[in-house]
Amino acid sequence: MKIKEKIKNFIAENGSFIFSAPAVLWQVLFLYVPFFLVLYSSFKRVADSSLHDLTFEHYATLLNSAYFYIIARSALIALGVTILSLLCAYPVAYFLALKVNRRWKNVLLFLLTLPFWTNFLIQIYSWVFVLDYNGLINMALLKIGIISEPLHMVNSTYALFLVMLYYYLPFMIMPLYSILEKIQHDVLEASMDLGATHWQTFRRITIPLSMSGIKTGVFLVFVPAFGEFAIPAIIGGSKYMYVGSLVSHYFLVARDNQLGSAFTMVSGLVLITCALLFNWLCAVPAQVAQKEVE
Amino acid sequence: MRNIRFEKIVKTYNGDIILDKLSLEIPGGTFFALLGPSGSGKTTLLRLIAGLEEADSGSIFLGDEDITHMPIYKRRVNTVFQNYALFPHMNVFDNVAYSLSIRNLPKNIIEEKVIKILNTVHLDKHIYKSIQTLSGGQKQRVALARAVINEPDVLLLDEPLAALDLKLREKMLIELIDLQSTLKTTFVYVTHDQFEALTVADHMAIMNHDGEIEQVGTPKEIYEFPVSSFVAAFVGTTNLFKGELHIIDEQYRIEFGGLGMFEVVGSKDKEWMRNGNTVFMSLRPEKIEISKTPMTGFSNTLQGMVQSIVYHGRSTQYNVQLKNGEVIQVFEQNEEHFPQEIIDYDDTVFLYWQKENVVLLEK
Repeated sequence: MKIKEKIKNFIAENGSFIFSAPAVLWQVLFLYVPFFLVLYSSFKRVADSSLHDLTFEHYATLLNSAYFYIIARSALIALGVTILSLLCAYPVAYFLALKVNRRWKNVLLFLLTLPFWTNFLIQIYSWVFVLDYNGLINMALLKIGIISEPLHMVNSTYALFLVMLYYYLPFMIMPLYSILEKIQHDVLEASMDLGATHWQTFRRITIPLSMSGIKTGVFLVFVPAFGEFAIPAIIGGSKYMYVGSLVSHYFLVARDNQLGSAFTMVSGLVLITCALLFNWLCAVPAQVAQKEVE
Repeated sequence: MRNIRFEKIVKTYNGDIILDKLSLEIPGGTFFALLGPSGSGKTTLLRLIAGLEEADSGSIFLGDEDITHMPIYKRRVNTVFQNYALFPHMNVFDNVAYSLSIRNLPKNIIEEKVIKILNTVHLDKHIYKSIQTLSGGQKQRVALARAVINEPDVLLLDEPLAALDLKLREKMLIELIDLQSTLKTTFVYVTHDQFEALTVADHMAIMNHDGEIEQVGTPKEIYEFPVSSFVAAFVGTTNLFKGELHIIDEQYRIEFGGLGMFEVVGSKDKEWMRNGNTVFMSLRPEKIEISKTPMTGFSNTLQGMVQSIVYHGRSTQYNVQLKNGEVIQVFEQNEEHFPQEIIDYDDTVFLYWQKENVVLLEK
């Protein structure tokens, strides 16, 4: 009985620690430890050099415009995919959350998650069949007679863009949907009632209220899109290098873990800078508004 | 101030008819209450004025202007929503200033107006507070200030006090009355609470379950002279009896429940007040005198047995069982600490009322 009491008290007093411990442990083991290993590895001269034989030479190697272009290209593609997916996802999420009735809503949400039931690689490969020389689109266009020769689509930046957009769209729709669904309908009605047009209501009420969903969606798309390597590898061919493909190249093909680590660090830094910049951009309108009030 | 006029409004929702050829005129500049049970279509009527719903057919006029198809944001009508519908991402000031900033008014004018209206609703100490930190009553005031700042022709209130506790509700009712008499705006107040409606309204309309207007009038007219048993029962408490009308030598009497004949006041002009017709009689509990000893000077008497007593503080309610088993309610003011006569359970009592205090109803 006493032991039971003691355990009870212990849990009551240290509950938050006990229950968050597994998650914290997971974070430490699989995020922070590997991070410092990679950081350490990026300063090692060669893979089996001694503990104190540290150098900046890998970072010096990276001071080359080729690497800059790879990072910039990845960032631009990721940015493009993020913006386009936001523009495509917002109307979908908006209508799903605020206009579609309950019964259809569930069906549509189910359809939205359907692609996730398929293996990622199969999803991406199936696009090859669609975009190929003798793929679905070319066959259809030839049949109709719009084109006389098959279009070159696979291995183009457009195709890469299209497939990435396809793959990341649900990651944008979901957080937007869940935040838009929380908006009380009468708040939108109140705005119109007070003299705002549909557009003014959208700009002044809907967008600010869905800002946290936009943020989540942007991070969910931009971060993985920046480091994406499977889609460029399958769709983009080997024409251009991207951050993801270069990292996998160093670690899996060239086996140059040191340079690979250094590159990972640099691109990671760029990613974090982008994230902070975005965060700051989101906060600016709120601060300006606050100033106006004061 | 311009009147609001509904002409043969039809509104259906998913095939259900909510309002069927409804016509009503709301006098401008008054405090008008729309009273009805849940699902009577009173909120629909309100939303039609606001422009939040569009009628299937019929017209709505504001003065001489046909506003039936006018877009919501062009109407000089503002609404206080049931759950306030405040903008959660804005503070009190921005919420109240919303309609002015939409119209791009200069900053100093906006500020001046907002401060003034917040003073009126006693929120001047909370100007820059976030909406989430406000109490229910304060949120209500923000909603009110936000709706009236633009000086609308009509202010619509959709059960605005439903979420507040009784004391606060009573206080807000008085403030609403004051605000209306200051602004002279037409207030249309939707509620299912007859106490609220009777308190605030200059004029009121009673709607029934079928979305029809049963009666329009002042609170006093509606309470004292209901035109149907629905109105009599819905507004306040009443005892309803169904009986047969007997007219002998221009003396009107009603016979009901095998209890005998009771004098009533009738009129030759009413088509349905004919000898032998089935009619209803409404007798308000407070219009009945109760006593253990026989009294004189009343036109009608009934005898019964006290079945239960409910003490309300300012009054006591006696439920008296009549000889035919029916139960009649009687209210007595508790005027004295030590009443001369104490009425208890199972006491045999006499009930008295004057024929002038009875209302005869066709249906």
